[in-house]
Amino acid sequence: MIDYLVTVLTEGSIFAIMALGLNIVWGWSGDFDLAFYGYVALGAYMTLVLTVGPATNPTTYILGLTLPFPLAVALAVVSAMVLALIVGAIALRHLRGIYFSIVTLGAVYVLYVVTGQYVPLFNGYNGVSGLFDPMGDVLGLDYSSYSFFYLGLCIAVLIIVLLLTTRLNGSRFGLALRSLREDERAAAAFGRDIYVTKLKAYVLGAGLGGLGGALYAGYLTAFNPSAWSPVETIILYAAILVGGRGSTRGVVLGVAVMVMGLQEATRYLPEIANQPSFAPALRLIITGVVLVLFIRFRPQGILPERRFRDKDPAGKGDAAAVEAMVAGPKLDTGAA
Amino acid sequence: MTTLLEVQGLHKHFGGVQAVNSCSFTAAEGQITGLIGPNGAGKSTAIDLISGFKIPDSGKVRFEGREVQGKTPHVISRMGLIRTFQSPREWPGLSVLENLILACFEPRRERFWRSLRGPSRAEKEKANEQLVEARAILDEFGLFHLRNERAGNLSGGQKRLLEFARMRMAKPRLVILDEPMGGVNPVLGERMAAAVLGFVTAGTSVVIVEHNLPFIERVTDQVVVMAEGRVIAEAPFDQLRGNPAVVDAYLGELPTYDDAES
Repeated sequence: MIDYLVTVLTEGSIFAIMALGLNIVWGWSGDFDLAFYGYVALGAYMTLVLTVGPATNPTTYILGLTLPFPLAVALAVVSAMVLALIVGAIALRHLRGIYFSIVTLGAVYVLYVVTGQYVPLFNGYNGVSGLFDPMGDVLGLDYSSYSFFYLGLCIAVLIIVLLLTTRLNGSRFGLALRSLREDERAAAAFGRDIYVTKLKAYVLGAGLGGLGGALYAGYLTAFNPSAWSPVETIILYAAILVGGRGSTRGVVLGVAVMVMGLQEATRYLPEIANQPSFAPALRLIITGVVLVLFIRFRPQGILPERRFRDKDPAGKGDAAAVEAMVAGPKLDTGAA
Repeated sequence: MTTLLEVQGLHKHFGGVQAVNSCSFTAAEGQITGLIGPNGAGKSTAIDLISGFKIPDSGKVRFEGREVQGKTPHVISRMGLIRTFQSPREWPGLSVLENLILACFEPRRERFWRSLRGPSRAEKEKANEQLVEARAILDEFGLFHLRNERAGNLSGGQKRLLEFARMRMAKPRLVILDEPMGGVNPVLGERMAAAVLGFVTAGTSVVIVEHNLPFIERVTDQVVVMAEGRVIAEAPFDQLRGNPAVVDAYLGELPTYDDAES
């Protein structure tokens, strides 16, 4: 039971890191990015090929280095960001809304097909494997304690990511991003460089996606095209929507509800004899129904994005403070 | 009196339509310049060209002596020329106060790394000063009690006032107002007129596109009249009354019964 809990929590924190990244792109900047899981996959693949050593016949993949795990993760994040810079530079230039989504969907499918078909890159459909217990031997951990270590690592990374995104959320950068989401022509009229600001957010989000992917690779020990398909992005969107688009706390809660809660709860649905695909299908149906209900009845999510609230000066009963706060030349609205 | 904005021989066509055709006019510093003309005269296109939202086919736009034609909107905005749009463009999901705070563009504070590091003591002080100023401006426009409200929930008239408040907060050198009186009731109109005059007091010159001629008469120092993409007159409002070209442009050549019979 404890092993199971560790598994669920590890997976949950990894997905929360990814969702926090996607929340920067969709929640703040407002771009419905369908290529996001491509950055996750690239992060996972890069971590693998940088750590597992040279390919042995019949497998083939690029690099095949044996770098230390943290360094490989860092490089994986950088490569995800570089890819996002290329895709984003093209897709964000003039396209918005559904047009942007279609281009990013195209980009991720290109990546998906190339990864699957071009075997020398990441060993095609068989994928890359062999990353067992990264950092385990260095730290001298045995098999039973390793899973706790990895859970701790993922949670620590999640907390750092959460602190950084929370800080960005309340910063002027975060506010400027939100203004692009709300009305980008007005944002441009007030001096914001839409393209550069959106691109920054896009690359940043992809970096967090790559980080999530890198940790996911360490957790799964292997990665291949059956482990990811662009559809996987939807579960991240579902988590963000249910938790509260734009709200960092909400996104983490959303992952807890949709990824950890719903996915795990539906695991115990009764199996129907001769219908092995019934339970997974029912899980998708339940996910869909929950999404529809949220979009209809609570589109802002469980924990909505918080707006800056200016306290009511009158509430303090300090008349001078009220006067000072609103001091300024009054308009004579009668005559001009 | 110094020229703040100078438009020279501006051209723009869309397909076969010559929207702006050799349009030239100037707007002086410290003045309120009206830009009027019948529908389709090219007023909105002209201000899109000036503010960088559309790129002119040819012609020059000089702002404070520097050529700005073809520059992107945010570059022009950073130089101190900010415009509004025909329909209010508030940031609906943000609070009214956030709308005002965001009107001040501060490139340094909005940088990613600086935002990640958190505000310095000086920046916190600056932010506090901004907050006090924003409250004062909101109070002036009668929006203070709504400052924590989602801007998208305001009424149409309140959104217009919010746009004005944002402009006051941004303190540009020149503001171009695109039909600020559209859908505004007469009582609010009084307030808007006072606000437009208030811009000049605050050091912001104004170009105002408007169909409401009494409003134009009341607030403007100089009026530019456009028709069919050209400037047909440039004078103070009271001198325009007798101008046959202006009357013609506004009323058009009405068909007479004689024409119909022949």
